[in-house]
Amino acid sequence: MTTPLFRLVRWLVLPLTVLLFLQWPLRDAVQAGSREANDLAQILFALYAACAITAASRAHQHLAAHGSRRFHPGSPAAAWALAVCLVPWAGWLLWSASPAVWQSALALERFPDSNNPGYFLIKIAAWLMAALVLIDALAALATTRRAS
Amino acid sequence: MSSAGLWMLATLAVLVIATGLPAWALLIGTSSLFGLAGVLTGQVDPALLGALPGRLVGLLENDLLQALPLYAFIGLLLQRLTMARNLHALLTRAARRTGAAPALATLGVAALVAPMNGSVAASASMLTRLVGPRLGGVAPARALALMSASAALGVVVPPSLVLLLLGDAMLNAHTEAVRLPWFAGTDTARIVNTQDILRAALVPALLVLAGWALVAWRQARTGADDAPTLSRGARLEALAVIAAVALLVTAVFTGVVRAVEAAATAGCLAVAWALVSRELKGHDWRELLSDSLSLSGALFALLVGATTFSLVFRAWGTDQWLGQLAADSPLGHHATAALLLGFVGLCAPVLDAFEMIFVVVPILAPPLIAHLGDARQAAVLLLLVLQLGFLLPPLGYAVLMTRALSGLAPMSLGSLVRGLAPYLAVPLLVLVAAFGWPALVHLLDGPGANAAAAAPALPEDEVERLMREMAPAPDPVAPQQPQ
Repeated sequence: MTTPLFRLVRWLVLPLTVLLFLQWPLRDAVQAGSREANDLAQILFALYAACAITAASRAHQHLAAHGSRRFHPGSPAAAWALAVCLVPWAGWLLWSASPAVWQSALALERFPDSNNPGYFLIKIAAWLMAALVLIDALAALATTRRAS
Repeated sequence: MSSAGLWMLATLAVLVIATGLPAWALLIGTSSLFGLAGVLTGQVDPALLGALPGRLVGLLENDLLQALPLYAFIGLLLQRLTMARNLHALLTRAARRTGAAPALATLGVAALVAPMNGSVAASASMLTRLVGPRLGGVAPARALALMSASAALGVVVPPSLVLLLLGDAMLNAHTEAVRLPWFAGTDTARIVNTQDILRAALVPALLVLAGWALVAWRQARTGADDAPTLSRGARLEALAVIAAVALLVTAVFTGVVRAVEAAATAGCLAVAWALVSRELKGHDWRELLSDSLSLSGALFALLVGATTFSLVFRAWGTDQWLGQLAADSPLGHHATAALLLGFVGLCAPVLDAFEMIFVVVPILAPPLIAHLGDARQAAVLLLLVLQLGFLLPPLGYAVLMTRALSGLAPMSLGSLVRGLAPYLAVPLLVLVAAFGWPALVHLLDGPGANAAAAAPALPEDEVERLMREMAPAPDPVAPQQPQ
């Protein structure tokens, strides 16, 4: 379900790299636009990072020690253990962050330092991160139940 | 129950080792368990846990963390281009008369490329793929030790991501430390920044590199080196990489460009080269971008887990309890600082560099700085302890990663220890030197880096007289504020 999202989001690292580079000539040569480039890069980074955690889960890329074979990636035991760890946390985040995120989105909140638009997207990204983690943990559980 | 945070750490360590589940999920699971227990027993204020969304938004709007996907992307791109391979071949040719050319070239590639790799894991992945097949003449344990050490080089070589993040963490820790009434030093004139940490780490990093080059030469001498042949184009490409890295690192150290911008410049150059040379096809690009997304996610997840963990740890009051223990220590400043570093060393084999920087450093760095009285020295000592922790067999993170990725034949713990021992001795010696002789980290201090520390010390009665003259109504207990 989320794969098309990840296919789209993975490209964001390219404009992010260019924007981080551009800050240097914009600041020292053009002497304008550096702050805007930084804020835009920040929005891209927030959306990228929010999706990246679940993309890493799907690719079994999260860092782990070599432990019990019972919890190998994709096993029912691992799916249950991860759900126990992540579902309450993601649920708490979604519940406690929703009012602030909603207010920020309604007000189209701007970056506090530069007054550039788009800061609300960073708060939405935090909410999106928790939502994706929750959906992924529950989907992994559903998959193991169907398989068994 | 202020010590509950230590039980959190112990629970986490056991779960990480026993289950093999992703560390970020275990950080969050352990935090949730102790957070819930704290709320139910009335030990933790639920309102404190409500700060979590704000802290996570803080991660997403952190300027420095923008560099995380960038570093991951560059590291993975370099694995796919011929640049690193040509660089290794060129350095092997350059060192062909030493008798240990492939090993020395491995360290050379690591020193040039490791700063741009996002993590020890990324460095281990690149080096095992690139160098592993070229170390056939070296005993497996020694080859593993060399690759592990090379992978851990990025921890201390500026301007690595670990150093940038540590610089940011040390800024906060230094601010906290100078407010402590038992702060031992005069390092209060200016709070350290990332640039200070980069400068402080360079000389110790060069010493570690030189020491490891000596070890690699002694261990890997085979007598006959078959120098690879290099086309003119490949040689020029490798020389261009060396020149570009040298220019960018110089620009960072002279303050012309910020470290993240330098890394982004390197990234743009590497992308431009990949497009011009057509080394990557459409499928390779898609795979590269997907891998970058996953690796960035794996690293960012650790930060999210560590942020949650440190919030609950502080909610239990363990940070203040540890700070008080350090303040009341009867051992004296240096012995207490050594104990604190020992505690960091115990955590290092279990936690990744990013978890260490976001969980352990914010807790232990303020008392460490306060006891040493020198934030730059504390930062360099922490880096060296981290590096040692990554190389401790059998659980050291660099050793684990290299062992898993290298495909080398299984080896006994004894042979692994024998292979790693000389590599461990080098950072240990540099650590002892930086601990006993703090000037080692101040050799490249910028002008005005620490006005108070650089000023000649006045006799105590002279200071008191001057203070009385300057302040008509003295307040002897007023805390010193950072500027």
